[in-house]
Amino acid sequence: MATSGDFGFSIDMTVRNEWRNVDLLRTSVQNCFTAVFADVDGCHAIAMVTGELLENALKYGDWTRGDRAMFRLRVHGTRENDVEVSVQNPVGESDGNANLLLQSIEEINSFAKPEQAYRARLLQIAQSEDSAPSRLGLVRIAFEGNCRLSATLADGTVTVRAVLASTST
Amino acid sequence: MENLHIGDLTIEVAPAAPDGVISCTWRGKSNERNPPEILKPWFEKLLAAVSEQQGSLEMHFEKIEHFNSSTITALIRLIQLCRKSGVKLVMVYDQTLKWQRLSFDALRVFEKNDDLFHLRFA
Repeated sequence: MATSGDFGFSIDMTVRNEWRNVDLLRTSVQNCFTAVFADVDGCHAIAMVTGELLENALKYGDWTRGDRAMFRLRVHGTRENDVEVSVQNPVGESDGNANLLLQSIEEINSFAKPEQAYRARLLQIAQSEDSAPSRLGLVRIAFEGNCRLSATLADGTVTVRAVLASTST
Repeated sequence: MENLHIGDLTIEVAPAAPDGVISCTWRGKSNERNPPEILKPWFEKLLAAVSEQQGSLEMHFEKIEHFNSSTITALIRLIQLCRKSGVKLVMVYDQTLKWQRLSFDALRVFEKNDDLFHLRFA
């Protein structure tokens, strides 16, 4: 539910860890935001960010545990018209995915511009083996979504946040 | 060459034009978990057909609604596959859509002086 300090929208829900839910939620978010914002490109960006974060959670999360409450999507607006998309998912203590994710975000944020990080990743992919995971999703969020990324690790879950700068109404 | 139908994605293959260009139109959404796994064997068959006809390839993305980042990896592999096979590849996109403009303009890092890969907007 929206609070008085928010711009006026808030989505907060648990998600079943099924791949088809990525597109169901991505398109739902896109449709919801098209009802709020006139900026079609901005709505597509919010939806893309939602989809990429959910895909990452499903690919690299630890789904051996059955607690549904640990997989959560939140999308909310701020008074400055910024939109924050966050996805929380369980992570394995020893599989290294969580640390790799934190390192990836740190690396992306170290570039002066997300476009530079994105192009560098494209070139890395071209030089990698076919079977290697592309890990392009996060840097796509930063570049195409024009987002600032951050992540926190706590109590066996990781939460990745992407903040999109001002979306015009 | 048969069209590809997988999940929400269709790639329609048009018969070769008189100048040898084979056009493929992407429609729907590419949102599978591992698109390169699905697309690579289809790309390989397609390239074999194009090579046999000594033609070139145009991939049209103007009608696609969405693709995930793993699809972009598949597109990079296609660029590499075409270059390795000596087949000219053109990717055509809708520059009025910001997401397409950003996604495809970034692929210009793979354009070289060999004339084998180009990006063009519709």
